[in-house]
Amino acid sequence: MTITATATPLLELRQISRQFGGLHALSEVSFQVKEGEIFGLIGPNGAGKTTLFNLLSGVTPASSGTIHWRGQAMQGLSPDRHNRLGIARTFQNLRLFTGLSVLENVLVALHRQPQGNGLDALLNSPRFQRHQSALRERALQLLDELGLVDQAHRQASGLAYGDRRRLEIARALATAPALLLLDEPAAGMNPREKEQLCELLAQLRQRHQLTLVVIEHHVSLLMQLCQRLAVLDFGRLIAVGIPEQIQRDPRVIEAYLGSSR
Amino acid sequence: MIDNGLLVQMILGALLGLSVYLPMAAGQLSLATPAFYAVGGTLAALLSTHGSSQSTISLWAVLGEMLLAAGLTAGLALLVGLPVLRLRGIYLAIATIALVEMVRVAILNLPFTGGAAGIFGIPQPFQKPFGYVLFSGGLLAVCGWLFQRLEASRLVRSMAAIRDDELASRCMGIHTTRVKLTAFVASAVLAGITGVIAAHYLNTWNARQGSFDVAITTLAFVILGGSRSWLGPVLGGLLLTALPELLRPVGDLRLVLFGLVILLGPVFFPQGLITPTLLERLGRWKP
Repeated sequence: MTITATATPLLELRQISRQFGGLHALSEVSFQVKEGEIFGLIGPNGAGKTTLFNLLSGVTPASSGTIHWRGQAMQGLSPDRHNRLGIARTFQNLRLFTGLSVLENVLVALHRQPQGNGLDALLNSPRFQRHQSALRERALQLLDELGLVDQAHRQASGLAYGDRRRLEIARALATAPALLLLDEPAAGMNPREKEQLCELLAQLRQRHQLTLVVIEHHVSLLMQLCQRLAVLDFGRLIAVGIPEQIQRDPRVIEAYLGSSR
Repeated sequence: MIDNGLLVQMILGALLGLSVYLPMAAGQLSLATPAFYAVGGTLAALLSTHGSSQSTISLWAVLGEMLLAAGLTAGLALLVGLPVLRLRGIYLAIATIALVEMVRVAILNLPFTGGAAGIFGIPQPFQKPFGYVLFSGGLLAVCGWLFQRLEASRLVRSMAAIRDDELASRCMGIHTTRVKLTAFVASAVLAGITGVIAAHYLNTWNARQGSFDVAITTLAFVILGGSRSWLGPVLGGLLLTALPELLRPVGDLRLVLFGLVILLGPVFFPQGLITPTLLERLGRWKP
């Protein structure tokens, strides 16, 4: 995938700020994400990473500044509109549909695929059955990609932690996004699982032509995975660049690596 | 023990249980069912007694009333639902209780609804209760068929997702307001047409038919029967409507026993009588 400097960025943040009462969760954050890249977002706890994701997915509005999607400002759009534009996300604290089966979790997210109308459903018409089996096939294929296909009929609440994280990714992928926001996808995974996840994300990006923005605490994993990274500290963007730059940036070392070691 | 008269009431109870269940299947605790039930019943009472004192009415006229009641309650539910469904949990419950009270007070005080005494001599489409059994039973069967068939549909799947996690549903692109509103309108329509049948069957209609008590009783149908499948509120509605009548031989003690069942039901069956596990064991039905 070649990235040309002149093309409109897929996602562009211009002077984004968000306050909660007197707390400045984000202050004038600006950066761009290019189509096809894996973009990392790091920063100490409370730096504003998840707040930024909430802004990017429409869950909370920005206090000031604009976010541009393919060159168009997205302002005041609801989370479902964000998803329909092609932005899907996972949640740091896992928000699966726990009462539904693993398969149903993905089927729910496939709701924009052709289904047949209500009358088809009522009459259980051949067309409805055809759509249903196509949906199941698509869902099972996604589960297969995430290595969850043998658990398809288990209830989502019964999954192991790492599997739940992968199910979140499968569910987000089912909405056919162009941009996937992953909030700590490797949290709670052991080193081997993290390694596998890394490979998996690279594969998924290729296969689904995705752009990824990843929040992760495991810095070395991100350094290996991402083309570029942004570093947040107390709501401010302190550095953006390729991993080598970030590693050498004195402000990053002070704010993130230095102070915590 | 169970005569046709009681059977009609049980079936009407099951229909009201389904009406409460519909919004709940989308995670919305709405107690508005009696309001729409009262609107349907009052509409039928007014239309069928207006300008005629006949004691019979054709089935077609009743079907026409049901159609009108469906339209009226759907319109009302759309109007009320849009602002009210922005509320969550207990706040939605309180707002819908307020709606029930408003409708009750309106019916009590409007110049043409007969005040506290209500409307009498509502004509009957059937001469015997058995006719009502067939008619309301048929409606219940149609509803059951609809619920069963739509289980795999996008709408019902989205409802289940919203019940589990509304924010996650929105982030998956589900238009949650539309889904919740659809469930609310369907609930209102079902309550409205049930009200039409009830008004004819009871022969008389007044404001007390749609009171806060009814909201609690119908909620108990769903709690006892189970809120994870449409079969739950049907079973709950049938059982809890029959119970007070079946307990009649024990005199006033029956009210205590009825209360005890409502109290102990959730203790021994926290998920209700019909649970997904039970349905899975029965095999053929899918939760």
